[in-house]
Amino acid sequence: MKTIITIFKKELIDSIRDRRTLIAMVVIPLLLFPVIISISSKMMMSQIKKAQEKTIKIGLLTNGNAEAFRQTLLSKAGIQLIENVTVDSGRTLIEKDSLDALIVFDQDFDKQVAALLPGKVAMYFKSTERIEIEKKRLADLLNGFEQNLRSLRFKKLNLDEAMVKTVEIAEHNLASPKEKLAEAIGGFLPYLFIFFCFMGSMYPAVDLAAGEKERGTLETLLTSPAGRFQILLGKFGVVVLTGILSAAISMLGLYVGIRQAGEVPPELLQSILGILAPQSIVLVISLLIPLTVFFAAMLLSLSIFANSFKEAQSIISSMMIVVIVPAFLGMMPGMSLNTTTALIPILNVSLATKAIIGGTVAPTILAEVYLSSIILAALSLWICAKTFERESVIFRGA
Amino acid sequence: MIIAKNLGKTFKLSRRQKKEREAESQNGEVQAVAGISFICQPGRIFTLLGPNGAGKTTALRMIATLLKPTSGALTVAGFDVVKQPQEVRRKIGFLTGTTKLYERLTPNELVKYYADLHDIDKSLFAKRREELFTLLDVHAFANRRIGKLSTGMRQKVSIARTMIHDPEIVVFDEPTAGLDVITSKNIIQLIRSCKETGKTVIFSTHIMGEVSLLSDDLAIIQHGKLCYNGAYKDFQRQMQRESLEEEFIRLVEEVPS
Repeated sequence: MKTIITIFKKELIDSIRDRRTLIAMVVIPLLLFPVIISISSKMMMSQIKKAQEKTIKIGLLTNGNAEAFRQTLLSKAGIQLIENVTVDSGRTLIEKDSLDALIVFDQDFDKQVAALLPGKVAMYFKSTERIEIEKKRLADLLNGFEQNLRSLRFKKLNLDEAMVKTVEIAEHNLASPKEKLAEAIGGFLPYLFIFFCFMGSMYPAVDLAAGEKERGTLETLLTSPAGRFQILLGKFGVVVLTGILSAAISMLGLYVGIRQAGEVPPELLQSILGILAPQSIVLVISLLIPLTVFFAAMLLSLSIFANSFKEAQSIISSMMIVVIVPAFLGMMPGMSLNTTTALIPILNVSLATKAIIGGTVAPTILAEVYLSSIILAALSLWICAKTFERESVIFRGA
Repeated sequence: MIIAKNLGKTFKLSRRQKKEREAESQNGEVQAVAGISFICQPGRIFTLLGPNGAGKTTALRMIATLLKPTSGALTVAGFDVVKQPQEVRRKIGFLTGTTKLYERLTPNELVKYYADLHDIDKSLFAKRREELFTLLDVHAFANRRIGKLSTGMRQKVSIARTMIHDPEIVVFDEPTAGLDVITSKNIIQLIRSCKETGKTVIFSTHIMGEVSLLSDDLAIIQHGKLCYNGAYKDFQRQMQRESLEEEFIRLVEEVPS
């Protein structure tokens, strides 16, 4: 044990002094969330503000109908009314982004309404995400106009407007804010935590195995009294630690990012901070430990096989897909943790993390996730130890 | 003492290597060391001389327990390299000309690391480090990162690392390869001082000057086989050519591949 600790301590110092490891383990996980949250919330808020304040250019073709609606548009601030358009010219202007929307009333709109029939209105627009807020502003005006006409019609017929409603549905969504949030972003967070576990482990694994082999220091270390398994465990401990630290630092980054974002609604803020409650963090990290052991063993096996830092990086980069695909699948709608998905490596941790965030995780399935992850971790460590013992691997290319 | 009896090492070739080395391989294998026997005595320098690829490094790696012999027997300081590799490693110091050091550590940290791996107690470590650092003049840069040191300084640190546990047996694999004259001189001095202190010294080289300068015993290796094994003085007496270099070429050319 003393030898393993000696090797662990030395490898840790060596890794901490490596700038690449520090960047991958600390700087990126710590800064990524605050930067993403800050930039995206600022951009979103500025887009919303822009769309709300923007003067909407509306083409209106009433054909002598709906004077009340025309007057409403004329009296509204933030609306520029263009009336000398035809349907064709209006459509062309919309396509060229010179007009935001065109509203065309049927020639017999007023007659139809007077005859207690529906009056036809056509609305032309280009739907993009950016235009949605502008479209809503316009739709609100049209809905108000329709509501007004309906009220007048019911009044004329001496009827109660409420009688058209035959069924009144009262929706009660019992999902807690945490659950709603878990559904919305719960798949994304585990993906990032898993990604950081992998990224945090990657550089030390490459440096401590292939890097040491390339630099020619491994041969000297192997002539010391330390056994190969002891050497492996010392290195392995550092790779696991950096992976876990990287994920933990990313959680800290998320917390800092949310705290510094001033314009997050308080309800949402509470839910997000609920995810970062000590109990959830402990559970998520405890799930990430066996996963990181698996990553560390896999990365060290591949790294020790390579002859150089560059070769190890190219092998491991191509293996990233093995990590990304199952982690990404966890983000898919409808994917949930069950007795089958609990056995699929990486995906199980992704889904279990999502369930922990939502507070819906079942203890028996969580136990299955732990068990399968621990078995996988032990198996991968065994394979790594066997790889490390092989002369043909250690002296490959020598 | 090192005793090798019919020591052999065969490497299995990968599919790619089989294609590349079709002429040398038999059944997809290459015999790097083919049943060699020799004894290295304490207080004497045993030189393993041979051209590149003759099997010198493989033989020394077996002594250092880096590679397992595929045939024969090999004992180092009374321990079997296959059955007691850890005990063997406690007794040896291993230095090559291409030995690299951890660039992000300081000489102090590096030497302490190897002392800890050899389980040397604190007071003994402090004494040995002081002796070695004074002898090799390392104190001036003992706390500077190794990555910032010159080749000569690094070689001094390498020597300190090799000798910190006062090994009974010292293995030098082409220790002066690629080094300048001054640094090489330090290594030669180290090899001599090892002999003077009664250590068993085995070193491999292809530099004839070093052979005549240091050898007590000599083994010449070619294609994994020994074509001479005996005292260096006897070798000099039996020489059929005028120079050591010519005699060496004559001997290695006679060895069938």
